Amino acid sequence: MKISLNWLADHVSWDDDPEGLSARLTSAGLNVEAVEEYTQSWPGVVVARVVECGRHPDADRLSLCKVDTGETELTQVVCGAPNVRVGLAVLFATVGTVLPGDFKIKKAKIRGVESRGMICSNSELGLSGDSEGIIELDGDHEPGTPADDLFGYRDTVLDIEVTPNRPDWLSHLGVAREVAALYGTKLTPPPVLKPSASTEAGFKVEIENFGDCPRYTAHVADGLKVGPSPRWMQNRLLAIGQRPINNVVDITNYVLFELGQPLHAFDCERLAGDTIIVRRAGRKQSVTTLDDESRAILADDLVIADGDGPIALAGVMGLANSEVTEQTSSLLLESAFFAPQLVRGTSRRLQLVSESSYRFEREADWDMVLFGARRALHLLQEHAGAVMCGNAIDRADPDRQPYPDLPLRVHHVNRVLGTSLDTERTADLLRSLGMKVQPLGSQVESKTVNLMVAVPTFRRDLRQEIDLVEEIARMHGFEFEGRSGRKAIPHAPHRLWRDRIRGLLRRWLPSVGYHEIVTSTFMSRAELDALAFGEDDLRAQCLAVLNPNHGGETLLRTSLVPSLIDVSKRNLNAGAKPPVRLFQIARVYWPAGEKQEGHHELEKLLPEEPRLLQVGIAGAGEQGFGGLPKDLIELRGLVDELAGLLRVTMTVVPRDTEPFLQPGLQWDVLDGDGNRIGFLGRVRTDTASALDCDHTVGVLETDLRRLGVESANVVYNTFSRFPAVKRDLSLLVPGGVTFAEVRDTIEAADNSILESLDLFDLYAGKGIPEGSAAYGIRLKFRSAKGSLKGKTVDGALARILVALSDKLGVQQRA
Amino acid sequence: MLDSIDALRANGLARIEQASTAVELEAARIELLGRKGEVTALLRGLKDVAAEDRPAVGAALNQLKHSLGEALEKRDGDLRGTASADPGLDLTLPGRVPVSLGTAHPLVVVLEEICDIFYGMGYDRGDGPEVELDYYNFTALNFPPDHPARDIQDTFFLSDEMLLRTQTSPVQMRTMEQVKPPLAYVFPGRVYRNENADASHSSEFFQIEGLCVDCDISLVDLRQTVEAFVASFFGPGYKTRFRPHFFPFTEPSVEVDMQCVKCGGRGCGVCGQTGWLEIMGAGMVHPNVFEAAGYPADTYTGFAFGMGIDRIAMLKYGIDDIRLLYENDLRFLNQFRGVL
Repeated sequence: MKISLNWLADHVSWDDDPEGLSARLTSAGLNVEAVEEYTQSWPGVVVARVVECGRHPDADRLSLCKVDTGETELTQVVCGAPNVRVGLAVLFATVGTVLPGDFKIKKAKIRGVESRGMICSNSELGLSGDSEGIIELDGDHEPGTPADDLFGYRDTVLDIEVTPNRPDWLSHLGVAREVAALYGTKLTPPPVLKPSASTEAGFKVEIENFGDCPRYTAHVADGLKVGPSPRWMQNRLLAIGQRPINNVVDITNYVLFELGQPLHAFDCERLAGDTIIVRRAGRKQSVTTLDDESRAILADDLVIADGDGPIALAGVMGLANSEVTEQTSSLLLESAFFAPQLVRGTSRRLQLVSESSYRFEREADWDMVLFGARRALHLLQEHAGAVMCGNAIDRADPDRQPYPDLPLRVHHVNRVLGTSLDTERTADLLRSLGMKVQPLGSQVESKTVNLMVAVPTFRRDLRQEIDLVEEIARMHGFEFEGRSGRKAIPHAPHRLWRDRIRGLLRRWLPSVGYHEIVTSTFMSRAELDALAFGEDDLRAQCLAVLNPNHGGETLLRTSLVPSLIDVSKRNLNAGAKPPVRLFQIARVYWPAGEKQEGHHELEKLLPEEPRLLQVGIAGAGEQGFGGLPKDLIELRGLVDELAGLLRVTMTVVPRDTEPFLQPGLQWDVLDGDGNRIGFLGRVRTDTASALDCDHTVGVLETDLRRLGVESANVVYNTFSRFPAVKRDLSLLVPGGVTFAEVRDTIEAADNSILESLDLFDLYAGKGIPEGSAAYGIRLKFRSAKGSLKGKTVDGALARILVALSDKLGVQQRA
Repeated sequence: MLDSIDALRANGLARIEQASTAVELEAARIELLGRKGEVTALLRGLKDVAAEDRPAVGAALNQLKHSLGEALEKRDGDLRGTASADPGLDLTLPGRVPVSLGTAHPLVVVLEEICDIFYGMGYDRGDGPEVELDYYNFTALNFPPDHPARDIQDTFFLSDEMLLRTQTSPVQMRTMEQVKPPLAYVFPGRVYRNENADASHSSEFFQIEGLCVDCDISLVDLRQTVEAFVASFFGPGYKTRFRPHFFPFTEPSVEVDMQCVKCGGRGCGVCGQTGWLEIMGAGMVHPNVFEAAGYPADTYTGFAFGMGIDRIAMLKYGIDDIRLLYENDLRFLNQFRGVL
């Protein structure tokens, strides 16, 4: 809301500079976002009188004039306006003047004739109004008088952020009320038309339903002369960013910004019949609003109608069919109170937010309905020649109850604010805001109601006791030493394992080279399609945003994989050194997932939101140990480390489960009970390239909730202090036999003294039969009972070799 | 005799060289130079050498004893690490670890740091869904249906009843449905606004909400909590101020400003020349919110606050574009090495 300080000064005084005023307003909750100087000034433009005026020798439409600019000699100038004539007082831009739009006036030759300046029209000066031809000044002005003396304007404009609870601050009078309270000065309302005649108005108003429109007033005025509004009014409107149009429109606008009451003027002669009806539209139809847009309205929209149909969308905008024009001589002035939800509904659906709808949806001020109309009539009378015809028509809901007085417990005020206010001071703070306060005589200590507060109609936000507490806080300020009610809480917060796990991961993964990333919840259709989920995969079903803020479908991600591909791609393309190691802990949204029970009956609508841990390696070199890709070997190792870190059991089994991972290069991640809790593998090349990524991406993902069980406390076990015996085996493993089989066979053959098994070498190629592999395995034996004898170990080793040979055909290499 | 001296030199030097522990080296010394050692045995045999050969053999034996002794000493130095290494080594070569250090994300670091501060003040941590019911995000928080207050937060809708939460405040209500006072909680998390992205706006960002409810909590408690937080997070000496504001779920509502971290209050580009930075919205829990939570009327008072983690992180690290936080560019992230 823009507030002109010149305008504000009509209603209140304050002894402070604009910065001081801004600071006071801000500290009272009217956040002043900007203080701007507004000036209208035309240095170099002066009053001149046309002394001679003849036809240009070489152009029919141009006049050659001599003007008196107050200098000793007359100035010759060429003018193209049809209304230029001898004797006219005009505004003249002298040579060297710079007009709005950076238009510089120079000495010029126009069709061979010298011209030293320019006689100005409204538009050339950046003024509004009748722009056909040059400005004709009324009255007696001395030539040479600066234009600024006549039209110059200076103002300071505050841009105030008004919160939705304070529609009363959407007007100069409302802000003036606050200034009066802050500075202890008097509030001066503007002059209004006094009700006089008691004749019939000639119109009737019918309200179909008082619930839709609790109050509607109409005034009829005749004798109207539509023309430009007075200069001071135009200046004020311009200063707050409004474009002046004509006196009738400007006056209704002026009252809106002065008092906050939206008004609308209908051209009486364009109304059918003598009855104004406030009703629902009744059927879907197309109407043309004042801004010349055709709009579709629905049966439930509230309209103002005459005998033929809608003439205005109630509280939102008038229709073109009843608009005031330059020919209008009599008008019907509407000032009303519409149901906020109806105005809001129509305005939002049509995406048509007007100054009027903005105020009505925040609720109008009951008393201002009539006052605002009278203010406008006063101005119409003074500046548009209007004559009131008959009485005001004022239809109001007879059953409407005034806002009830609010009880206030000063004890409660102090309890919430931590203040030590007494009854008298509390009452004074409220009175400063224009409230009527009735002390009940009870003591603060009694904890009962001490004050009854009558709420003025302009404070629609004050509905309950706590609203008054806020007003007291605002007026009292927040810079006080108060009382704290917080007892030392004998409470040690319980840190959930869920939260602690995340802390562990966020410290561990960076220490082994991974970068944490934070990526968007949103996913595109292309990203979803690239993952190629099967129909029965719950991740194939996504929630979509109904109102995305940029073109295209916006889905809520059901997988973190596209975001990993995206971050990998962008970093590697930007020249990051591969491999790029990344991790994220983030939610995905599964509408087809498990539903939650909750307090609210609609809880079941909500998607499952598991929090996943994702670890990825992008751009890794291909070959590693045993021909496996290096990134997958690392991620595979990370599973064991992760299990160790979180003290849970995690295993992997090779299984082609994920459609976006390369077949034959992926594993399921299982928990201790064999439940699948994630996956590990290499993203398919075609999946990556569908997302414009031509780098390898290895990924490990697991559901953090499944690791979210508080791990068992560590219980110490005794360990053997006897020495270990190491034996290395060099094995020839035929094709088709896996390491897991070799390992399991060894472990099954002798598990009493075998402590560990380590594959330290893996070789295939020269000297090894085609398809076979050579393993170097180090076995470590240890007994809890005593030092192992060589022959005990030899026996165990022999059993192992026999088992390997019998079960798998694995032989010891020579 | 001279032949056996040469053989013993070669053999002795080899044995000394092969010793890989101090124990093995000592064994070699005893074998060679001990009282019953091989060199000692040869020395004893000197008396049997012909007199004319004796000086030459004696000299050779002394030289043998000396060179073995030197070799023993050098090997001992090697094994103890006291001898000087090969002077040809270039000690200015760079070091290398198997994997270089990664980074935690600055947003998450700040989020966790803020939580830690509140844990220290006795707060628990709570969590709630990001896809929320209109009820929890708005209605239960005293946003009347179809009221302009809802326009303050441009909302992404998923259906008539479902939306992406615009604030972490719905977790307040979910928590109060489960927990009875006294309670003190922080609720960090991701929130969404239907806004166009620019240097200071993102349609997704992080917030942290705080809630403290007991029988006589006052605005002064809020003030002291805010001051304690600011002093702990930004350091001592920053003033804070409350400005009245409007949030449907608190009353009185305030916006909290702190003195600019860049200029200390003198006015600069970061604070728009005002000297103040808005860091959070806060207020006393509205009685309608307690009512929606099922708390008995008039029994409790409490305060709530909410702040944007992105903004706090940007202030802390001097980040001038919020989009950097979501690009995950390693040239950005690597600047946060060691920030955990």
